[in-house]
Amino acid sequence: MDKSLHVGLTFFLTQLGIIFFIYPEHIIASSSEGHWLPILAGAAANLIVMAVYMKGLGYFSNQDIISIYTNVGKSAAVLFLVPVIFYLYMVNVIAVRAFAEIITIVFLSNTPIWAVTGLLLFISTYIAANGIASIFRTGVLLAILFLPSIGFILTISFQNVDWHYILPLIEKRFEFLTSISYMKSFYVFATSFLFLGFVQPEITYSSKKLLLAALSLIPFLLLAVYIPVLTFGRSTASTFKFPFVMLVGTIHVNWLMFDRVTLFLLLSLITFTMLFIALLIWQMSRMISRPLPKVKPVYLLLFISAVTYIGCIMIPNWQDVEELFICNMVLRIYVWLIIPFSIYFLGLREKRKRSYEPT
Amino acid sequence: MNLRKRIIKGLIVLTLALPLSGCWDNIDINHRVLPVVLGISKSEGIFHVFLQISEPVTDRIRIKIVSGSGRTITHAIDRLSMNMEEHVDLLHVKIVLLDKQFAMEGMSESIVDFMRARDISPKALVAICDEDLPSFFDKVKKGLESQGTILFDFFEKNAGWNPQISLTRVWQVYRSIHSFTRDVAIPIVRSGKTTAIEHIGSAVIKNGRMVARISPSETLLFNAFNGESTQGSIEVMNHASVLITANTMRNTSSMIGDTPYMKSTIRLKVVLLETRGQPTNEMIREELDKLLTERFNAMFGKIQAVKADILGLGQFYRHIIPRESLADWREEYYPRLQLEMHIETNIQNTGFLNTP
Repeated sequence: MDKSLHVGLTFFLTQLGIIFFIYPEHIIASSSEGHWLPILAGAAANLIVMAVYMKGLGYFSNQDIISIYTNVGKSAAVLFLVPVIFYLYMVNVIAVRAFAEIITIVFLSNTPIWAVTGLLLFISTYIAANGIASIFRTGVLLAILFLPSIGFILTISFQNVDWHYILPLIEKRFEFLTSISYMKSFYVFATSFLFLGFVQPEITYSSKKLLLAALSLIPFLLLAVYIPVLTFGRSTASTFKFPFVMLVGTIHVNWLMFDRVTLFLLLSLITFTMLFIALLIWQMSRMISRPLPKVKPVYLLLFISAVTYIGCIMIPNWQDVEELFICNMVLRIYVWLIIPFSIYFLGLREKRKRSYEPT
Repeated sequence: MNLRKRIIKGLIVLTLALPLSGCWDNIDINHRVLPVVLGISKSEGIFHVFLQISEPVTDRIRIKIVSGSGRTITHAIDRLSMNMEEHVDLLHVKIVLLDKQFAMEGMSESIVDFMRARDISPKALVAICDEDLPSFFDKVKKGLESQGTILFDFFEKNAGWNPQISLTRVWQVYRSIHSFTRDVAIPIVRSGKTTAIEHIGSAVIKNGRMVARISPSETLLFNAFNGESTQGSIEVMNHASVLITANTMRNTSSMIGDTPYMKSTIRLKVVLLETRGQPTNEMIREELDKLLTERFNAMFGKIQAVKADILGLGQFYRHIIPRESLADWREEYYPRLQLEMHIETNIQNTGFLNTP
């Protein structure tokens, strides 16, 4: 069944949920001026990787990536999928922990971390337990409910911009290429796209529309970085942990009866992140359930959430979250580059094989 | 069996409503005090904190001023909170009033702390008090009794704000601490003789320290330069007085050798209010140009002498001066800057009467 809209929207939302927090900080730190270049370079790389991944998946229209690798051989499946499980687990822990911390920093300063973490995970697990179709449906619902408020906040966030900060436009030394912060910023691209390989053959989508969804994210990437830079200036914006959240805190609207617009942005984005976490848990359960067909998937989900919860509780502070983030970098590059390209080459092999065999 | 299962499931679902309340160590609103104004002064390393608290007492509002001291601002507030029967919640502080002495010594650390802890909103206004905070609050309290938000309304754009008052928020002061090219002006107030508050000009803040002072009419030009609307203010000259209805700003910046040059034009739309003698429109235009240009040059000389760029002129050189050198903007380039000011006036109408 063609569900391009659902798949595309879910992809769009899960990406949107994560770009407004740490991404601006990393991009601002990676380059002192002309931030559009690193942003566009990252987005272009992402488009290429996604196109390759979907092209590869297109050769196996009736298999998900678990079957693709298992058909090649058991060792291939272990070699490729075990790192992915590890990676997704780490991303999950980081995402849940980071968002719990953001919630504590911004508004629930009295609530203990374990309670916030528990709630976040509980809701996501519940969404994931109902299967991929329910994740997509939730995605559409969240889009209808919260995208308008995000749009409103983005519009009014231009309130204090000083366009002079956009200059100088070009930074000639390309210092971002050698910056660790820039490498870190790829986290926004490296995770969401993976689920595209898990949904087929039950659900099909057109890869053109998915690329369109990825393309439509570029303005948001630019806004997330540029509005704080235009308001505060680079040297001030680089002192903030979450530049965009800070920026929304400075918006002053006389006629709006709510004093803090930040809450609206944050709560909308957190629902998107719950969707993201649900997707992660669901993918992991799919991968683990293949070698353990006797265990009910629901129990696997509960097990994964429990392990994630323990992982989150084990991280004592924000600095450790950031360290984990850096540790995760090698795996991230592995997943982001090796998986799509291996799928693509396996796909080419499959095509050649098929053309030899008489059908 | 099926029914029992359903009932149990239903009950579990119902318990989900509990976390919805979001209550965790929550303090009810009637056990909180929400101060609107936070006053800070510092003497011999000890911070004194004043809070203006509005309390509703049978169909009117009673104003309470409480004060406390401590080694840091949060310490002082914490001690206050300890001694009060309610919990002090700074979430709704609208105005941070700083003692002048404190502002002159430097307040950057306090501003940085405000930005770090999100108790105080980054969009709270900053103002400087020209007299001792205890005596200021004492005098203002009388005016506050009738209307609890008087200090706040004074700065509110849809209430008592005038174009002669600079509006600066906590985040803007924070920006000036880190920025290469941007300083801020903060309004200075004191208790008035007939009105509750008197506005006596603006303090020029450079890197979080007060370095100079400009008058209210100079602040008007500062606001006009920054693109704030100066609509509604009145300029009085020898032969006429006019009401400004709109203003726009145009700048061209250039760099010759190591000296920055700048040409600025403020375009005013005015309406004629009063005349003395028989001035022609041409005369009024010239007079206004002369008056405002002189006033602007006086103000610019003042702020240039202390190397504080409250007009944000360095912003216009972002494409000319590379970023590394722009870091020395205030020290290297700004003192040499040549600024040429023009006021272009458009007399929109002269009321019901013709002018000669």
